[in-house]
Amino acid sequence: MLRALIYLRLTSFKNWTWSRLRRLRQPKYLAGGIVGFAYFYFFFFRGLAGPPARRLPPHAPAEALRTADAMLAIDWLPFASAMGAIALFVLLVLMWVIPARPAALGFTEAEIAFLFPAPVTRRALVHFRLLSSQFRNLIGAGVMMLFSNRWSFVEGNPLTHALGWWFVFSALNLHFSGANFTLTRLAERGIGTWRRRVLIVALFATIAALTIWQLPASGRLPEFTDEFALSAIADWVVTLAGTAPLGWVVWPLKLIIAPFLAADTRTFLTVFAPALAVITLHYLWVVQTAVSFEDATIDQAQKRAARVAAWRAGDRRIGNAASKGRPAPFKLAAVGRPEIAFLWKNLLSTWPYFTPRVFVGCTLVIIAGCSWMNTQPAWRGLLPGIGVFALIFSGYTLLVGPQFARQDMRTDLPNADILKTYPLAGWQVVLGQLLAPTAILTAILWLAILVLALTFHPLRPGLVWLTLQLRVATALGLAVLVPVLVALQLLVPNAATLLFPGWFQASRGRGGGVEVVGQRMIFFFAQLLTMTAALLPPTLFGALLIFILQWLVGPVAAVTIAAVAVLLILLAEVWLGLWWLGGRFEKLDLSSELRA
Amino acid sequence: MIEVAALAKRYGAFTAVRDLSFRVGPGEVLGLVGPNGAGKTTTLRCLAGIIPTTAGSIRIVGNDMANDPVAAKRMLAFFPDEPRLFEYLTVRQHLNFVARIYGVAGHEAIAQPLLEEFEIADKADQLPGELSRGMKQKLAITCGLLHSPRVMFFDEPLTGLDPLGIRRMKDSIVKRAREGATIVLSSHLLHLLQEVCTHVLILKQGEKIADGTLAEVAARFSNGDANVNLEEVFIRATGGSER
Repeated sequence: MLRALIYLRLTSFKNWTWSRLRRLRQPKYLAGGIVGFAYFYFFFFRGLAGPPARRLPPHAPAEALRTADAMLAIDWLPFASAMGAIALFVLLVLMWVIPARPAALGFTEAEIAFLFPAPVTRRALVHFRLLSSQFRNLIGAGVMMLFSNRWSFVEGNPLTHALGWWFVFSALNLHFSGANFTLTRLAERGIGTWRRRVLIVALFATIAALTIWQLPASGRLPEFTDEFALSAIADWVVTLAGTAPLGWVVWPLKLIIAPFLAADTRTFLTVFAPALAVITLHYLWVVQTAVSFEDATIDQAQKRAARVAAWRAGDRRIGNAASKGRPAPFKLAAVGRPEIAFLWKNLLSTWPYFTPRVFVGCTLVIIAGCSWMNTQPAWRGLLPGIGVFALIFSGYTLLVGPQFARQDMRTDLPNADILKTYPLAGWQVVLGQLLAPTAILTAILWLAILVLALTFHPLRPGLVWLTLQLRVATALGLAVLVPVLVALQLLVPNAATLLFPGWFQASRGRGGGVEVVGQRMIFFFAQLLTMTAALLPPTLFGALLIFILQWLVGPVAAVTIAAVAVLLILLAEVWLGLWWLGGRFEKLDLSSELRA
Repeated sequence: MIEVAALAKRYGAFTAVRDLSFRVGPGEVLGLVGPNGAGKTTTLRCLAGIIPTTAGSIRIVGNDMANDPVAAKRMLAFFPDEPRLFEYLTVRQHLNFVARIYGVAGHEAIAQPLLEEFEIADKADQLPGELSRGMKQKLAITCGLLHSPRVMFFDEPLTGLDPLGIRRMKDSIVKRAREGATIVLSSHLLHLLQEVCTHVLILKQGEKIADGTLAEVAARFSNGDANVNLEEVFIRATGGSER
């Protein structure tokens, strides 16, 4: 059995590699491959030979951070260990609470077809699956090592990092299987899902309550005042993870994390055996508790295959595919602008949370929350931090949001044949397709702007010119510009889809790979470049208007006039983009494009 | 009414369809037949305005597809071989969406008889994922018929249907033709086409080999045989090979 598994994995890997190399003969993959390899080399592999230049010398973090008055004015290791163990603990609790179906092992449909009818025992199948998951764990550990090797606050070397990640992934994987088997056994003995959930939540709530009760007076949660230091939180986490009974529960988890946090090879060797012992106990638990998993595994494999198919078809939602229809986001009259039909359709294809009701609810929560925090001395200190977070979030959403909100031409490209039979001009189809992601991202950005407006308090004397009226005018100006900015952003990936459908299909086609990463990076940088070119003229013009007009009509009116002027320029750009893309859509011949 | 004159479609150096001319009148059903790679689907996609032609002209009920595609498309419905549906729209929501696109006022009154004719009225609140292949096909056809098109294109309409579904599909096509619709359909199931079509057009390697009524085409390739069927005509016309 073991040989069969090794043969399967190695042959599959070899064929996968060859197929990837062969397709580099096509320019779209070759260009992506060059960019992808360059990215991985310069950002990850180049630094593997030696310690990253920015890494702090051994045992320096605490001292350096203390000197710099940074957030971790304590030894980094205890906090990392405590935080990691608590995070793992939360994940394990979820593994016991969430499952509602009988235990299933992650076999693929092909593995089921070949292995389930084969003359092998159930235990052999379990071993097959566990060993098979080790391939994934090793690859995952390798990938995570590339990232963690760049973390300047983690010591050790690439090998200890990779092995450390392997311990973490293996423990999670084995615990997941063991918990599933055990839960299935409990279900077979008549303990229903909700009864079990209540019992487990009650158990963990008791542990949490007892732990908090046992906390020493010095380990109380610090208040978020203006003088608040994050190092106090770090102290609190370390104390929490060391206090019984939580301390007892997370102790084995600290053993699992210890290899990753080892400062050097010698330390790693000392923590290796305890971690391996925890993994071994997990393995024995899984093998001993294995129950009938075949039916559930087949069901799971079918669902996963459907999910993968939907993902490749452009549906990037997390979770299982929708199995039931749901009410429309709004009533769609039979007569009216046809573009609204696309908004209606595409909103139906996304998460059900994107509704006006949820938006209004979030608005009220933000207003109420910020107002309340403003009146609480213990929490007021958090407001500037929340404001900064909202600012970063806004920038990130504007920049990367269009890559996630894909309920437009990117999702509907496989239906292009049907869309082209509709009696609509090309620009109408493109405009209709852009409406749903524009509405979604606009709503999110409006909420972020609201947070910014409510948390921003110019306390420093140099900022007195930033009056309430000016802040309101700026926030409103931004809010008005947001939908057009988002539409402009969305035009770029949609243009890429229509201009290079072959590239687009390839970048979301079968399997991943360095060349696919490279293709996505090319798209991303092309988007940045295009947006810079599109935004530079209106931004400069707006700034110039504010500079000149503030002397004549005052800053509030200047900001308002500039916002209107920028809005008009952006609208013109969007309209030009729609008109041009519409023409491209009318000429699009997918069959011809995909022949290349 | 469909009028096609000197239609050509090229992909780089490859010519999928060349110098194709024909005409289909109201109430007529034209069967587009030919070996694999003959250009049937390409022709249908050009006729439906899905892909641009390289040369030639297409008129749908008098509307030129190149000059006024919106008016031409308002008159037609295209049914691909594989029903293309939106995964997250229920049957009823599909009809709602299509009604808005075509501006069909009072679409509920039109949709209900169609849903009943195609026996999917009880599936109105189900998603495509909950429907069988045949049901999906019926939904796609119901959507296509909602705006009462005067021209219909069917690409392999009988693929994947069970015997009962095939019978109903044939009846439906004949019924629309009797009501005055102009219909073009492609299929490899020649004996079934023979039951539905009034006219036939045989394509091979992108070129028209023959067209006319079934009787005219049969007479041309009968070699004096009486009662020659479409399958025999097809084999004789194409020389029994794809090339």
